[in-house]
Amino acid sequence: MNKFSKTLPLLTAGLLTGSLLLSGCSTKSPEQASAPSAEQQDTTQAASLQINDPWAKAADKGMSAAFGTLRNTGQQPVELVKVTEEQHRSPVQLHEMTGSGTEMTMKEHQGPVEIKPGAEVELVPGGMHFMYMDLAKPLVASETSTLTLHFADGSSKAVDFPIRNYSGAKERYEDHAGMEDKHGNGEHGGH
Amino acid sequence: MAEQQPTVPSRRLVLGGSAAAALSGALVGFGAGRLDAPASAAAEPAQDPSDPADLSPYGAYQRGILEEPQTHGIFLGLDIQWPKAKDERRDRLRSLLRMLGEDAARLMSGDGVLADSEPEMASARGRLSITVGLSRDAAAQAKSTADLSMLEPLPEFSGDKLEPRFGQADLLVQFCGDDPTALAHALRAVRKNLTGLATVRFEQHGFTTPPGQAEHPHAFRNLFGQLDGIANPRTTAREGAVFGHGDEQSWLPGGTVLVLRRIRMDLERWDEVDRPGRDFALGRRQSDGSPLSGQHPDDPVDLSATTELGLPVIAGNAHVALAKPVQAAETMWRRGFSYTDGGESGLLFACFQRDARTAFVPVQRRLAASDAMNQWITHTGSGIYGILPGMSQEAQLGAALFAE
Ligand code: HEM
Ligand SMILES: [Cu+2]
Repeated sequence: MNKFSKTLPLLTAGLLTGSLLLSGCSTKSPEQASAPSAEQQDTTQAASLQINDPWAKAADKGMSAAFGTLRNTGQQPVELVKVTEEQHRSPVQLHEMTGSGTEMTMKEHQGPVEIKPGAEVELVPGGMHFMYMDLAKPLVASETSTLTLHFADGSSKAVDFPIRNYSGAKERYEDHAGMEDKHGNGEHGGH
Repeated sequence: MAEQQPTVPSRRLVLGGSAAAALSGALVGFGAGRLDAPASAAAEPAQDPSDPADLSPYGAYQRGILEEPQTHGIFLGLDIQWPKAKDERRDRLRSLLRMLGEDAARLMSGDGVLADSEPEMASARGRLSITVGLSRDAAAQAKSTADLSMLEPLPEFSGDKLEPRFGQADLLVQFCGDDPTALAHALRAVRKNLTGLATVRFEQHGFTTPPGQAEHPHAFRNLFGQLDGIANPRTTAREGAVFGHGDEQSWLPGGTVLVLRRIRMDLERWDEVDRPGRDFALGRRQSDGSPLSGQHPDDPVDLSATTELGLPVIAGNAHVALAKPVQAAETMWRRGFSYTDGGESGLLFACFQRDARTAFVPVQRRLAASDAMNQWITHTGSGIYGILPGMSQEAQLGAALFAE
């Protein structure tokens, strides 16, 4: 199936599996959209998506993660298909967690992430997150990392993620494709 | 003086305690322009900047300066780990201050910081304030037009026994609040965020008296048992002494200068001194803080008052006689905290002023030379910091340093 590759974009646009069913993320009571007006149809998915409290975990090299709350403020579903980062030159994936308690591992989420109108997806340590796969430059606390979120309608949005020290988010990385984890201990990078 | 009656029409700025007395006497160095209060001040009572409705993180000034001191105060001194490349240092300072400002804004709003593992501990109740300042050398990295001569290191004073561990840091963060748990959380959150960017030189904890439990609305009992803070400037006089006026601003408009001294107090030897000796050394009574020249704590310190024998009532080398400003530019706003630390007791003496060269420095020169209280106190730590102007949702903490 989907082979993990650092060079492939995070998510392949395409199959939509209806509502999001992912461990560690909460999808709050979506308010169903009424018939969209012409105005609303003009609104891009990028414009509808609001990100609250974004932040990324400081790391010298290797892997790290970014978090925040994605909220669809629009009347139409939003589909996040890919995330890119230029500054620190790392491929970025969307990860989800499997398992429970201290036995959790993370893996790449398959397919786009759909957020219904009024709904939220929380990216949190121990839950869903954006994953820097191989940092070419360190994520220095107090600085920011700009992630570009790409949506199914072709729109995109650059969001500054303030970088902070954090010693949690050390989940094990499980590579379903069976590739060797070249990052050694299979943990998020950092300190 | 007019201080207790702010509604009395007066073209003078209202000065507290002895600062007001200084005004009525010699006015050396006090620009005439500053005597002119806005016309409206005569009609309406001036808004008291020391008594804000809340400690909103935003405003012209940072919080934790003009407000009456909270019950607990912590001074965190850090040395910045600058990037090796000199051309990256300005950006590092800017991002570090942005982070500190964001942390302060969130914590003072009762929220956890980003990446907070214990956001439930955050609480803005208890007047939490976080106040940030820089040493001259740290501020110089911004290459701004700020007047860094105001931040030049303090001269040596006689009797100083300064220890480097309580000495000048690059970065000072003052945490104040009435709720020690929220305060501990704020301190930890900020320290954690600064890991890898700065190393801690000192973390000095102090305390005053909880609100509502003080005997005097503007003073607390220090560890000698004295009421400390009575003659401090109040309301608009405090604001003027701290931030300046019009074209006489501090090192940055909206900023001020903090002098922090760690002063050890020898309680064992103070125990040997009986009441008259204590009151003589201070020039005020330990009982209720009243000056020896008066009956009530808020009576003026009158250095010309004499006994029937013609001797001064307040000795010339009494602490208040020497500390009292001889000109308005010497006025400082003292906002210190007592400390106890492993059997040692003392005062984290903190004072804010527009320019320490005309306030703390001359006053401390007089005190160091002949203060009668010197036999029981020793200065062991010292630093001078440029406190940054306030921030807004649009302008980050320290924005003025980076204005192009
Ligand atoms: C452990 C050291 C110190 C103790 C225990 C102490 C205590 C006091 C007390 C009890 C008062 C009278 C009440 C009041 O008006 O606040 C006072 C006044 C004052 N002190 Fe200190 N003080 C200390 C150090 C200093 C230092 C280092 C300075 C500044 C260089 C200073 C400046 C002043 C000033 C300006 C006043 C008001 C004088 C007036 O206008 O009447 N004090 N201090
Ligand atoms: Cu991951």
